[in-house]
Amino acid sequence: MAIKYTLQGLLIYLTIAAFLAAFVSTIARRRTTGQWFFTLGFCISLASYVYRWIDGRHVPLQNLFEVFLCLGLVCYPISLLARRGLRIGGQWADMLIAAIVLFPAGFVFHAEQQHLPPALQSWLFVPHVAVYMLGYIFMAMAAARAAIQLATASQPISGKILPFEQATYELIALGFPLLTLGLILGSIWGKRAWGDYWGWDPKELWSLASWLVYAGYFHWRYMFGKKHPRLNSLWAIAGMAVIIITLLWVNLSRLFPGQHSYAT
Amino acid sequence: MIRLKRAVLWACLMAIAALAVLSVYGAFLGADRAQTFFNSVPVAVFWGAFAVLLGAGIVAFGRLLWVPSLLLMHLGCILVVIGGMWGSQPGRDLQERFLGTERIAKGRMPILEGTAENRVAIADSNVTKELPFSIRLRKFRIEYYEPGDLYIYSRDGRRWKLPAEAGRSQTLGRDLGRVTIQRVFRNFRMDISGDERIALDAPGGSNPALEVAIERPDGSTARRYVFLQRAGHNNPSDPLALTYSQSVRDYISELEVVRDNEVVASKDIEVNHPLYYGGYHFYQHSYGQNQFGDYTILMVVADSGLRIVYSGYAMLMVGIVWHFWGRPLRSALRNRRSNERDENR
Repeated sequence: MAIKYTLQGLLIYLTIAAFLAAFVSTIARRRTTGQWFFTLGFCISLASYVYRWIDGRHVPLQNLFEVFLCLGLVCYPISLLARRGLRIGGQWADMLIAAIVLFPAGFVFHAEQQHLPPALQSWLFVPHVAVYMLGYIFMAMAAARAAIQLATASQPISGKILPFEQATYELIALGFPLLTLGLILGSIWGKRAWGDYWGWDPKELWSLASWLVYAGYFHWRYMFGKKHPRLNSLWAIAGMAVIIITLLWVNLSRLFPGQHSYAT
Repeated sequence: MIRLKRAVLWACLMAIAALAVLSVYGAFLGADRAQTFFNSVPVAVFWGAFAVLLGAGIVAFGRLLWVPSLLLMHLGCILVVIGGMWGSQPGRDLQERFLGTERIAKGRMPILEGTAENRVAIADSNVTKELPFSIRLRKFRIEYYEPGDLYIYSRDGRRWKLPAEAGRSQTLGRDLGRVTIQRVFRNFRMDISGDERIALDAPGGSNPALEVAIERPDGSTARRYVFLQRAGHNNPSDPLALTYSQSVRDYISELEVVRDNEVVASKDIEVNHPLYYGGYHFYQHSYGQNQFGDYTILMVVADSGLRIVYSGYAMLMVGIVWHFWGRPLRSALRNRRSNERDENR
């Protein structure tokens, strides 16, 4: 547990508090208040991210602390897109996800500034990591809808809102191109930096495994459609489990030494 | 036909699942052993079968042919697999045997400053091969981030980092006091005149150091010099240990390509910026120093199959973006337009 007695820490804790308040308000059927808190949380997380950026003099995507800071930031816009653009319900889950992903930044990882090592000084650094972060949040939100579908087997009351199984598919369909782009950009970057477009590094292999799980999901859903909604949902949750391993276990465990170890 | 389609789809699903399982297995092996594993003959057979299965899918499913985005995605995957096989070790061995192409796939080139070299030590073997041209290392240099950092360690495991700038200070808590950087030296020298010692920044040379004042909780102040190039001695009874270090910003090799005693190309290479010449990429890989001076180690890589793989990437990406983003967006826009038209009527 690493509590941060700094301005950065304060901003993170305020963001978590706002997101949790949004979650509680929405669950208590105070949706407007919940939206206000969610928006407020986003504004504070934006301030926190910009502060980190200015303080570190590079885009904060270098290590796990900065990556989780970024994950907390992108939850709100993606949730907004899902609600307004795709008619996807269950925003309370997005609020909870936003609070959860900021927890490691606030309490687990150290916030000490680090210089960018030579390998990270590339124009591919920001797009490669950023598209993965966006993709991961899409997949996390999809997995949340899948879990709701599994847990409740209920559908949204309003006819204007997509059923949870369909919502899961729509979110995965939006996130999958981002995972693909992240994989390809990483491969091109690997070629420029280390001479190999594919280095068989544990992080690369886990990323490929997560991409394959979602590729399998699309083929499965093409085969069976909505005939087995629970299996479809399980598939989406399995994809998220592999992503969590890719993001955390591979970087933190000594089992997987590799070229991505600086990301801790 | 429906049975055939279903069989192909199931086979595709099984192949995807098998590749996912193999990827996870490879991750536990580590990069070097995973590379050997994925280039082994049984797995090469699997790669071939995977490409054939994708091709069979395109033939069996008419939809893959008449929906361009789906066709691009699947063709892209086939190209990536074929390009990967073409550039793999077994693929290169076959090229050498049947096409007579003899290229250095991958190797390392140590070059001393001021000398030219054309020998490449082949990766994972004791073999050395020669390039038809030489690479001369004009100069190798390391650039550092300015300023460096002063690291302060306490005996109970706490750590603080302070930018190495005069006037910067750090409070360490009630038990340890406060540390302040008083002076930054580029070339530290100590002059002794009589009983007095005078620290000064001498012109020329390089011996970076920091003068640090430690204000103890009892009110006393100690002065310490911390050097960049030497770790220094820490008294066992001292509650604090100090180190001064700089992070590497870049490794740069200034290279020239020499052919028939003429310089035909030159480039300062660094990480992420290799030199490309004669079908080879030259990467900044490592460096060192021996009795003759500084040397750099370049990684030499031939790009066998790279264009096929990159073409596959492009097709895969265009297909996926078009299918998952472009098509829904287009149909949403169409729906909106038709709704607007209906409202206007």
